[in-house]
Order: sequence, then structure tokens, then C-alpha cells
Amino acid sequence: MREKKLVSLLLAGALTVSLAACGGQEAVTNNQGGSQAETTNPGTAESTRPTEPQGQLIIGSTTQMGNDFYDASFSNNAVNYKTYDLLHGYATVVADMEGALVYDPTVVASHDAVENEDGTKTYTVTINDGLTWSDGTPITAKDYVFQLLLESSPEMNQVDGYPSQAGYSLVGYQEFFDGTTKNFAGVHLVDDMTYSVTVRADELPFHYDIYYAIAIPRPLHVIAPGCDVVDAPEGATITGDFTAELLLETINNPTTGYRYNPKVTCGPYLFDSFDVASAQCTLTVNPSYAGDYRGVKPVIEKLVIKTVKSDTMINELKSGSVDLLFQCSGADTINAGLDLVDAGEAQDNTFFRNGYGRIAFDCSQFPTDSANVRKAIAYCLDRNEFARQYSGGYAAVVHSYYGLAQWEYQESKGWIDQNLNTYEKNLDEAKALLEADGWTLNADGTPYSGTGTRYKDVNGELKPLVIEWANTDGNPVSDLLATMLPEAMNEVGMELKSTTMDFPTLQTAMTHSGDKIYNMYNLAIGFSLVSSPWYYYSTDPAWMQGGYNSNWIVDQELADVTWSMKAIPYEDTEAWLSAWQDFMLIWNDRLPDIPLYSDEYYDFFSNKLHGWESTSVWEWSRAVLDAWVDA
Amino acid sequence: MGKGRYLLKRFIYIVFVFFIISILMFAIYKSMPGNPVDIMLGDSKTSMKPDAYQALYDKTVQSLGLDKPLPVQYLAWMGNMLTGEFGYSTKYKQEVINIIGAPMANTVILNLLTMFVVFIIAIPLGIATAVRKNGVFDKSIQVLTIVGYSIPTFIVALLAIFLLAVKIPIFPISGVRSAGSTATGLAAALDMLRHMALPVLVMSVSGIGGITRYVRAAMIDVLRMDYIKTARAKGLREKTVIYIHAFRNALIPVVTVTTWWIVGLFGGSIVIESVFLWPGLGKMLIDGLMQRDFAVVLTMQMFYVVLSLAGNVIMDIAYTLVDPRVRLDG
Repeated sequence: MREKKLVSLLLAGALTVSLAACGGQEAVTNNQGGSQAETTNPGTAESTRPTEPQGQLIIGSTTQMGNDFYDASFSNNAVNYKTYDLLHGYATVVADMEGALVYDPTVVASHDAVENEDGTKTYTVTINDGLTWSDGTPITAKDYVFQLLLESSPEMNQVDGYPSQAGYSLVGYQEFFDGTTKNFAGVHLVDDMTYSVTVRADELPFHYDIYYAIAIPRPLHVIAPGCDVVDAPEGATITGDFTAELLLETINNPTTGYRYNPKVTCGPYLFDSFDVASAQCTLTVNPSYAGDYRGVKPVIEKLVIKTVKSDTMINELKSGSVDLLFQCSGADTINAGLDLVDAGEAQDNTFFRNGYGRIAFDCSQFPTDSANVRKAIAYCLDRNEFARQYSGGYAAVVHSYYGLAQWEYQESKGWIDQNLNTYEKNLDEAKALLEADGWTLNADGTPYSGTGTRYKDVNGELKPLVIEWANTDGNPVSDLLATMLPEAMNEVGMELKSTTMDFPTLQTAMTHSGDKIYNMYNLAIGFSLVSSPWYYYSTDPAWMQGGYNSNWIVDQELADVTWSMKAIPYEDTEAWLSAWQDFMLIWNDRLPDIPLYSDEYYDFFSNKLHGWESTSVWEWSRAVLDAWVDA
Repeated sequence: MGKGRYLLKRFIYIVFVFFIISILMFAIYKSMPGNPVDIMLGDSKTSMKPDAYQALYDKTVQSLGLDKPLPVQYLAWMGNMLTGEFGYSTKYKQEVINIIGAPMANTVILNLLTMFVVFIIAIPLGIATAVRKNGVFDKSIQVLTIVGYSIPTFIVALLAIFLLAVKIPIFPISGVRSAGSTATGLAAALDMLRHMALPVLVMSVSGIGGITRYVRAAMIDVLRMDYIKTARAKGLREKTVIYIHAFRNALIPVVTVTTWWIVGLFGGSIVIESVFLWPGLGKMLIDGLMQRDFAVVLTMQMFYVVLSLAGNVIMDIAYTLVDPRVRLDG
């Protein structure tokens, strides 16, 4: 774990890499002079962090908020989720600044994990004394057990189809969820401050198994007034009049429900109001918050989250109607923001996105079921030029399934330079791959003449080398690909057929819910802190139909190498890194995606904000705890 | 008797057209590609195990009634609609009735103020230009009104923001009210008015352009009439001739425009709402379409259908009020 922490600390540096971030890869970032996670922060020198909360920070978001503040199961809105994050604290397991999963010492007094004889594993967690809800009610283990029971219950499932999956991996989940038993066998209230969870044997071993110990308190006295959580040998249960009707009132009432008006919370901020007409949310600092995993408490008194438009948001910053714009991308916005910084009217903070824009292949569809065809398409595109043109110089190119903020990447930069194919544009190489794949004929069956579309004899039938490409309208990536790809593909004997549609239609095509027509799509991917490649490249049809293996790739070697990662203990970073590199190598060879660009994000903020340090793993909702504003 | 019979006939016609359009709309939206349940469940697909997701998916399909044949779905939808239940929004995961109020209020307030500004300027301007036909004033206004309604709203909006919010920061760039404002009462209303200034200005530019020319043309036709000459010959004051005799007779085309404008009060503008971040019905409709949130989209579409059909009847009745020669006898 110590090694992991060291690596994680290096990860902080991961976000401070610029040209070097790409090692020998040709980087296209404009940020060549300094470090990647550089903050231009002229005001901080004169400002010291106040001891008491003060001031107001207006945060501009390009995504309009909705009035839904439960978890992501009700609302997919990213800003809503970050707001949820600010309102709800004291999870027992959290991601630290470097993205590593750790027990939160502010919350957890002690923890223990025991492997049982039947292959299950029991995690026991004791909560610290002294934590309270915003109304002063003490937080106890009951509130944690209540969350596990509530969010696994059939009653909660009746509240607008809430998934009720919190305890999915725990012993006895299915019986509890089905309603055949009122006791959740895998969850126990050990004492007032201690709970335990027992994970099913078939869910183990699991690389991120620390995550099984997580519970997040929910206010039992607010969500289920008159009910109680009690323990029994057959598992914990909720007693009293715990019904769907109760939850429909306490959670789902449009005016007073916890989902829309969470007045009793325990996060760093409290819910003040959401103005539906202007879609603005106001939060105020929680005076009873004990701090995050480092003990840090917020000192910005009031947060206002409002919608901004990307075309005019820099003007809003200049005019003072917003104080912070986070994760800005695209040359126009970044250049306008940097002009403001140069003029001394704002500050900036920059880091690379933990994900990439990509061409995603459907590897179950002829002819992109062939790795040679996929690689030939990659050789037809100058990806460095593409990233440069698309981003105006604020992006880098990656060569496999990794994000530039991942610690594995930071540890492997030299290895990546030496071992991964960068697929520099090379039409001769593309032709050779196609020839080797059997694309050697003309439409009339004669040997390929060197011009026009290639054909291949497939079981006696001549098939043309046509790539069906589904893309969305108004998408600059699609526009640029349409400019850069077709000519080169034609030159090597491929025909690119483009169909433009809206995103839901594209989604239908990708998931094979509609007609199975398309070979490739362009979209983006972001890496979560708990990334599970063993599902994404599983050959099990269930994981393909389930949307995990969105490339529909059936490659046993790829599936095996990722599956081998699942069992590596979280602490064994050396074994994980070795397996990760094997995975990168195979992925880079099979090329289910062509990674196109990894954006360089900028936060722009007013000079009144100080101590701002966010990254793609420590996002704005966390960074706001360390920051302060002038009074 | 004539008016009652006419209204009854129109009512039957409205009901008939309403049902035909509802069937067409329902069929069109249901045939759109894209799975509303997949979109509704969103990230659950890749945060749940496939079997659990499939169970949730099936349950959601069932709870939304999407497992039933389309005619049954239509009848259920229409039955609910007629009893005031507009369905369940798959995007917002709430009843449509709970989410449509705020954007509708935003749209109506913005359009009402715009209508007021447009009519208060365009009608006198149209009359004045008609009276001074072919004069310098008339020609200048003609040029300006053509420019006004021919420049795309989007361009006018960006120009207005650049000039009046960025270069000369008189008005806010976007939004409905100041972020973090705790104002109430008059102060809150004034803050909102300040935020409405630019969108109203932009919407008024094209409105004033169009209606001024409309009124002008109607007035010019009327001013040529013999009864105007007679009124003048009788020695009536020019103001009386213009505003009492001429304008009342020029009202029929104005009534047409006004009626459609009132109907349009409930129609959001995606351009204005997007540029000025004014959360209204236009954006809600587009978002609903993009998210395949058919309950929201169909509710709004059917609302517009009812408004349009009712607008025709209101317009006919208004004609009889402004011109006694018009009879509603079918």
C-alpha cells in the first residue's frame, strides 16, 4: 500500500506533465513550457486561508442542473452528481487526491477484513464517535446499515424504479431484494458504531474489494421516521412501518422529499435552495462537518452553481457573473480564457482529461471484425494532426486503453514509448495489412488493380471493403474525420460510408438494439477510478449485450489478460502494473478503438479564488474544500 | 343561433382533428429510433451486472406500459391525458405535470413582455408610416424593419450580448436572475426584468419589423377607402380619422397576427432560450426529443395542437368583434 501511495503521489505529478507526458509520442499540446497541472495563481501569495468560512463562489457549468439531489441512480446529470457529492459525506471508503481508494480516517475508527471458510469475506467497520447530521442528530452505524438496507430494498425499488443495488455483491442480497426475507443476511449492525458486510464468494477475488466495505450514511430519522434498524442472527432489518408509500412521501414528494429537498445531510455543504426557474442551486457551508479524509473543512461560505454557455462563459467570468469555470476544453474557449489570464483578470489551472475521444469499432461486424482492417484504418489517419486541428493544440494522443491521469500510465511512459505501436500515418502499411487480410480483388474478381474499392472472396462471395460509419450531427470530431479519413481510405482501397444521426439513434445502433449496420462510431470514453476492463473485454455475450463490451470484440487473449487483473490484490501494485502493461500491449495490437485525442482541460477562475487545485481525479467538488475566496 | 351552431361545429371539428393528430403524433414518435428506457436508465447499464440490469430494464418497461401493443399504449396515454395525467418523464423521472410548470412560466413571461414591447412600438409605428407613406420617415422605417426581421435572431442575439453585456456591460449575459441573489419582492422582479432585457430586445427586433409592416400595409389599404375621404370631408380631426375610423377597419389583419402571437406565448424559442440560457419550453421540447422523453414531447405537442385549434376559433370570434360585418354562421 505504501508503494501504491508513492505511485499515487507520482500521479499528482501525472497531472503535471506536458510534452513529457507523452514521452516519445508526438504531443500536440500547446502547454510545452511548463507542467501540466500548472496553476496561474497570482493572488494567492497575498492571501492566506481564512479560519472561518467566508464569501461566495459562483460556479459556472455548461450542463444545466435539475432539481434532483439523491444519487446518480435518479439523475444522470454530472453536475447534479457533484452537488450530491458536496451534500453527502462520511462514506467509509473514499478516493484520495491521487485516485486511490482508502478508508476515511475522519469517519472510520477501525476496520477489519476476514476471509471466511466458505469463500465469503466479511468487512467490519467501526465509525468514529462525534459525527452528526446537520440537524445535530448523531450519526451511528444504524445510518450506514440503513443505507445498505434501504438502497437494496424492494420498497426503494418502487420509488421511480430506483435500482436498489447497493448490496448486490453481499450475501443474501437477492432474497432481500426479492422480498422473500426481511433480513439482509450479508449486513449486520454489530453495535451502535459498528457494522459488517459479507461479500459473496462468487464476487471474489476482486481487485477493488475494498470498495465492498463502503457504506454512506442516510438519515434514518428523516427518510424512515418511526422506523428502526435492528440486527438479528439472520441479518439486519428495518422495523416499523417501512413501506414504499412511506418512501414515496419522504423521498419522492416533489416539495419536501429528500430527493428534491435534502435538508438533513452530512457533507461539506448544506442544501440551501434550488431555483427551478433559473436552474440555479445554492449551497451553504455545513458548520458541523468534520472534514474530508484529510480532515479538511471548507472555508467558502456559499456556493452557487449556475448554467453558462460555452460561447459566452469567458465573458461571464470577465464580467464577474461567475467565479469559476471548470474543465474547459476547445481552442476558442481556452485561448479566450488565457487572454483573460494574461491580462491579469483571471487565473487558470490545467490538467489532462482521464479519457479520450475515439473511433470505436464494432468488432462483430464485417469487415471490422478483422484486426487488420481496423489497423489499416488507423494507418490512414494522422492522429497527431487530427488532435492538433480538433483541439487547437490543447490535447495529446494516446495509443492504448489508458488515460493520461492514470498512475499506471505515469509509471509506464518509457515502456509505452518502447512497446506500443503509435500507428503513424502510413498508407503502404495499411495496404500491406489489407493484402494480408485477403483484400486482393477487384469487383469482377480479378487481382486488385490498385485503384478503387478492394474486394475479398468470403465463402465464394465477393465482398467490398466498405466501412459503415455512424456519427452524430453538429459534432466537430465527425466533421474533421470526414475531412481527413475518406481520401486516405480510398487510396488504400477502402470506401467510407458516413451516416449522420442523433445520439439516441447511434446508441441504438451501437447496442445492436436496431439494425446491425455500422462498423465504426466516433464518441468518447472516460476512465472511472474503479475501471473494470475484465468486463469491457469479456467474451461472455451477457457483457456485450449489457453494454460493457461495447466493441463487441471476441478476443480470448484480450479477455484472458484482463480477467487475470481482476484477482490481483489492490495493494499489489507491481503485479497490477505488469498485468496492465500486458493488457495495453494486446489492446494496442487488437485495436478495438482508435484513440483520437485526450483533451487538456482548463479551469478558469477569478482572482478572488485562491488555493484552487483540481485534476481529473480530484474534481471541482473536492477541490472546493481546499480553496478560499476573498471576503 | 348562428353563432352557437358555428361554435358547435367548430368544437366537433376540433375534437376530430385533435384525435387524428394525436394518433399521428403518437405513431411518429413511437417509430423514432432510440430506446427511451435505455436512455432513462443511463449509466445503470454499466454500473450494474447484466442480469440485474436486464431485470431492472424489464421492470421499467412494464411500469411504463411499453410492453403492451401500441394501440393499447395509445389508448392508455390518451385516457390519462384526457383526465389530466400527462404521463411520466423518462428524463426527469417525475410526473410531467411536476416539471412543466417552471419552463412554461419562463416562456410565458418572456413572450408576454415581448408582445407588449412589440405592440406598443409596432402599432403606432405602422400607423405613422402609413400616414406618412413614401416620406423620408416611412422609407427609413421600411429599411429598418426589413433589416429587423431579415437578420437571423441568433446573430441579433450575439450582437446584443457583445454590445450591451460585454462591451458596455449594462445587462447580464444570460440567466433568469442573478446568481446568489437573495432579493425578494420588487427587487427580485427588477432583477428578473434586467435579465429579460436582452432576450426581449432580440425577440422584439424581428417582431417589431414584421408587425410594423403588417399594420402599415393594412392602414394604407384602409386610408384609400371612400369612407375615410368622407370622414375627412366631414371635417373630423385627423387623429379621429386615423385612430377611430381607419385603424379599427385595419384591425382584421392585426387581429390575425395578435391571435397567433397569443397562441405563440406558449411556444418556446430554442434559439433565444439557448443563447440566453432562459430555461423555457423550447429547450424542454428539444431536450425531450433528444432524450426520447415521449411523455414530455407528446404533452407539449398536444398542448400546441389544442392551442392552435382554439386559436382559430378565438380569431374568428375576434373578427366579429372588430368588424360587425363578419358573421359566424358557418
